[in-house]
Amino acid sequence: MNEYTLLILLLLISLLWFYFGNKTALSLKNKQLKLNSLPHYYGIYVALYSIIPSLFSYLLILVFDGILFSNLIMEFVPKEILNSPDFNKTIVLAQIDNAVRGIYFGEQPDWVTIASNQMIEWNNQSLILNFFCSISLALGIGYLGFKNIHQEFRSRNSVEKIIISLLGLSSIIAILTTIGIVFSVIFESLRFFAIIPASEFLFGLTWNPQFEGAERAGSGQEGLASYGSVPLFVGTFLISLIALCVSVPIGLFSAVYLSEYANKKERSIFKPLLEILAGIPTVVYGFFAALTVAPLMRNGGSLIGLDVASESALAAGFVMGIMIIPFISSLSDDVINAVPQSLRDAGYGLGSTKNEVITNVIIPAALPGIIASIILAVSRAIGETMIVVMAAGLAANLSFNPLDAVTTVTAQIVTILVGDQEFESAKTLSAFALALTLIVITLILNFYALHVVKKYREQYE
Amino acid sequence: MVSNSNINNVKTKTIGEIFSKDPKIICRNVDVFYGEKQAIKDVSIDIASREIISFIGPSGCGKSTFLRCLNRMNDTIDTCKVKGSISLDKEDIYDEKIDVVTLRAKIGMVFQKPNPFPKSIYENVAYGPKIHGLSSSKEELDFIVENSLKDSGLWEEVKDRLQSPGTGLSGGQQQRLCIARAIAVSPEIILMDEPCSALDPIATAKIEELINQLGKNYSIVIVTHSMQQAARISQRTAYFHLGELIEVGETKKIFTMPEDKQTEAYISGRIG
Amino acid sequence: MNKNNSKMLTADEASKIVASSVIRRRKKDARLKTYGRIAIGLAVSFLIFLFVSIFSKGIPGFFQYYVTLDVYLDRDRLDPKGDLSPESLYNGDARSIVLESLYKVINPKGRKEKKAAKKIISSNADVRISKMVLDNSKILGKTISITFAVDDDIDSFLRGYIKRETPSSERRINDTVIKFVDKLSAENRISYKFSDYILTGSASRSPEIAGIKGAFIGSMLTLAVCFIIAFPLGVATAVYLEEFAPKNRITEIIEVNINNLAAVPSVVFGILGLAIFIGVFGMPRSIPLLGGMVLALMTLPTIIISSRAAIRAVPPSIKDAAYGIGASKLQTIFHHVLPLAMPGMLTGTIIGMAQALGETAPLLMIGMVAFIVDIPGGVTDPGTVLPVQIFMWADFAERMFIQKTSSAIIVLLVFLIFMNAAAVILRKKLERRW
Repeated sequence: MNEYTLLILLLLISLLWFYFGNKTALSLKNKQLKLNSLPHYYGIYVALYSIIPSLFSYLLILVFDGILFSNLIMEFVPKEILNSPDFNKTIVLAQIDNAVRGIYFGEQPDWVTIASNQMIEWNNQSLILNFFCSISLALGIGYLGFKNIHQEFRSRNSVEKIIISLLGLSSIIAILTTIGIVFSVIFESLRFFAIIPASEFLFGLTWNPQFEGAERAGSGQEGLASYGSVPLFVGTFLISLIALCVSVPIGLFSAVYLSEYANKKERSIFKPLLEILAGIPTVVYGFFAALTVAPLMRNGGSLIGLDVASESALAAGFVMGIMIIPFISSLSDDVINAVPQSLRDAGYGLGSTKNEVITNVIIPAALPGIIASIILAVSRAIGETMIVVMAAGLAANLSFNPLDAVTTVTAQIVTILVGDQEFESAKTLSAFALALTLIVITLILNFYALHVVKKYREQYE
Repeated sequence: MVSNSNINNVKTKTIGEIFSKDPKIICRNVDVFYGEKQAIKDVSIDIASREIISFIGPSGCGKSTFLRCLNRMNDTIDTCKVKGSISLDKEDIYDEKIDVVTLRAKIGMVFQKPNPFPKSIYENVAYGPKIHGLSSSKEELDFIVENSLKDSGLWEEVKDRLQSPGTGLSGGQQQRLCIARAIAVSPEIILMDEPCSALDPIATAKIEELINQLGKNYSIVIVTHSMQQAARISQRTAYFHLGELIEVGETKKIFTMPEDKQTEAYISGRIG
Repeated sequence: MNKNNSKMLTADEASKIVASSVIRRRKKDARLKTYGRIAIGLAVSFLIFLFVSIFSKGIPGFFQYYVTLDVYLDRDRLDPKGDLSPESLYNGDARSIVLESLYKVINPKGRKEKKAAKKIISSNADVRISKMVLDNSKILGKTISITFAVDDDIDSFLRGYIKRETPSSERRINDTVIKFVDKLSAENRISYKFSDYILTGSASRSPEIAGIKGAFIGSMLTLAVCFIIAFPLGVATAVYLEEFAPKNRITEIIEVNINNLAAVPSVVFGILGLAIFIGVFGMPRSIPLLGGMVLALMTLPTIIISSRAAIRAVPPSIKDAAYGIGASKLQTIFHHVLPLAMPGMLTGTIIGMAQALGETAPLLMIGMVAFIVDIPGGVTDPGTVLPVQIFMWADFAERMFIQKTSSAIIVLLVFLIFMNAAAVILRKKLERRW
């Protein structure tokens, strides 16, 4: 008996209710009574009545017993561990969890054994509770639904009402995701700003995160770790700028060529080819940048006497630029195509060359959309992670030189949060503060781009 | 050069007088294809200097297609192929030597829907002279703009707001702006593709008056859906049906005693 | 009219001016066209360069060098307990049996040479023998020739990445080893064939036996979870927003919200998974279930947006027809609108899934980067995914991992190509309908 069998049991019960509902409706029909809806709607009605509340209680208990127990179990952790400076709740919980699963690494302290036994007992109790709650809900509320069945009952309307509310509920998920993102970032960021002043974070010029203990914990060794995010934003800016230098001219000229000069056949070949660039996973670009492009640039640089770092902003930015070409070319292509044909006709009718129509008529008309496409590409470049992690390195140099190794906001977030973390340390928390700034920046860019596009659409509708 | 001898020596099914004494444009045996589909079948016609000629016919008869062949606007459509000969001042306009830019500078066009550029009124008119380099100074450009706007009868209405956007004008004003834009490059011929179909009767009346004025200086070819309009403004009328040129002649004659049965049916409202 | 403005150009004058400017303007036009061609040429050549560079490294990665040895399978030494159980074989002495048969061929003298000889064969050789015995115990007590993968350094040497000319001190393998390898090749015992490990092996620190099976299955499980969550939710949301949602502020907020979610960088979803799913709900790290949930939230906006477009593209006449014969709104949607919109919705979903398949950063953050040798058997077993495996391998120093990484990338790309091809076919099908 475990969670899965319980779930299957619940499904079986609702299936049974469907059968009974259906059968009753059929028997009513056989008595030559005119039913309001088709018989199977009565079955579905009862089944939904049974499954929805029971599934809800099932999931509720399943999710929240873990949260409850992980807090309660702290009673069993000895005081000296709880109060020791390197106490880490995650590790302690993992220790107990492993014991519960029967995985042991060497000798167990006694309290772990006791706590894990307690945990197992609680888990069993919770499962039994869950069993009784869910099954009784499935049977009880299902029965209430079953009793509703009579000749004039409008089961189809009720079923539809339930389904529509379910559809509505699912659209809430998107909102919940946003709330989840906001909550997960804001609280940790606030804790971070309680340790590190926001002014230092926003204007500090050195980024050197260290784990707690070596510094700040007391001993006057302040300054060892520093959380000035300026080098990260400069790195992000530098790499995005290089990416734009590659992608904007290539993307725009491609878009102009494809929409104005190319014939149908060329379009049908090159447009998908360009779009392939957007479909390649970023980790592949990262690998390509680190193992092919960076050495090429390093060798090329040394040929002309330039010292290119083996992990350079140039290599990462260049490859990122390739990646975002299709964002610019596709979107610009769309907006150029949206320029009404009548304007082109007006230009050609006066004897303009294609060049003149493009530069004097089409580009000015499509400019807002083109700008929006560039903004979206920028927001994409800022949020890009893997290429930077793999090819630009992690050295937080404050440098505008594209040949240096730099790091970005996203790369730091990933490196800080990969692997085990001390949840309380300023280092871990700094990743959340970085994420917060990242979200704010990309959202502003996105809002602005959508606003521009919307304005542009209105102009031609 | 198309030799003079065989110009008037053409086989055609068209009824009426396709030739004119002082031809500006000469079309002979013109076929137009869209891919496999033939849109224009064997059309031969002359267009004289300073005449106003209307093309009429039911929807889809090919009159607009034929009009767009005269300044090679069909070039923008990949699948479109033109056969036969069309010549302007006895030079074949589909010849490789002819640049479509110079051609369109000579043959202006006004479209069905007013299509001013999303720029100021001034910029709209000045655009053509600017790209073609027709003015060497700001004064000259101002002069061309003023004159073109005067010729199109718009000057008095817009002279105080030349810098406001052209798209802010009313439909009829926009269309007159488009006409001003076309005459600013000093063309010889103006093609008009149903220029009044998107306008109300008052605006239409103004445009028609303007066309009558312009007819003194330019050849005007106008495609129209309205037979009354054709009757009011044109000296000659050509009736198209299913891609063929059925009948051409003096407007008065076409509307009073058409020779062809189809023409008669259309005129009296049985086709269309 | 023209009388009172003597300065207005005549048509003849104008056409002369125009004609004189045409050549210059045509040149300008041709220049722009060339720029466009160059831009497209550059973009396409980047693409080709990328593919060539990956494939030229990756195709050899599917092959590796093997050495064939005649091994006497001593019953007592291989299976000390004599019960043919995996434990007994594990405790057996397969490793030295392999080494002995190697020594027979190359005759190492002294401890130093023997130590060098040990480097030739992959450390996995004993596992291979155990497996063979488990599969067929009749081979015990016989001498049979078996092929073993060579160690990765030897493999790199045979491929020419480690050069003979390099001074011994700067090479990863010394002269003695090279001498032995030469001897083995002279006896035709070295062979180059399709790798036994790349497709069926699991993660390993030894590149010669590392494979992508574990990561591949992890990817499939993660993707399955992602699909099961994201598709129904996405379609339900799209149907609700398109057909039922009242036009009010809440709906507007939901719509803006979905557009913004689509723009949120993927690392942020990793943070969401870390803070909410792991931190608050206490889910275990590293499991495909968690990865799938995070990716589902990430792909949801894509699916919703494309599903809405697909629903909107269904002609209203079809709905009217259904209403006309008395179908309810829900019946109309489920019986008519959804089936017609399905290809479009699936296209969007496949594109979203392809994104999810290639996604790395958020999965790194929820612990799918852990070094997991076992192949996951279910969505709650710890596992990793292909892109993360690629990321990890790309970080390893051994030369052979570069080829293996490229091979893994090829597998990933082939998969993506299949998914995108499916999307294209579906789109074509959709276009044909109306």
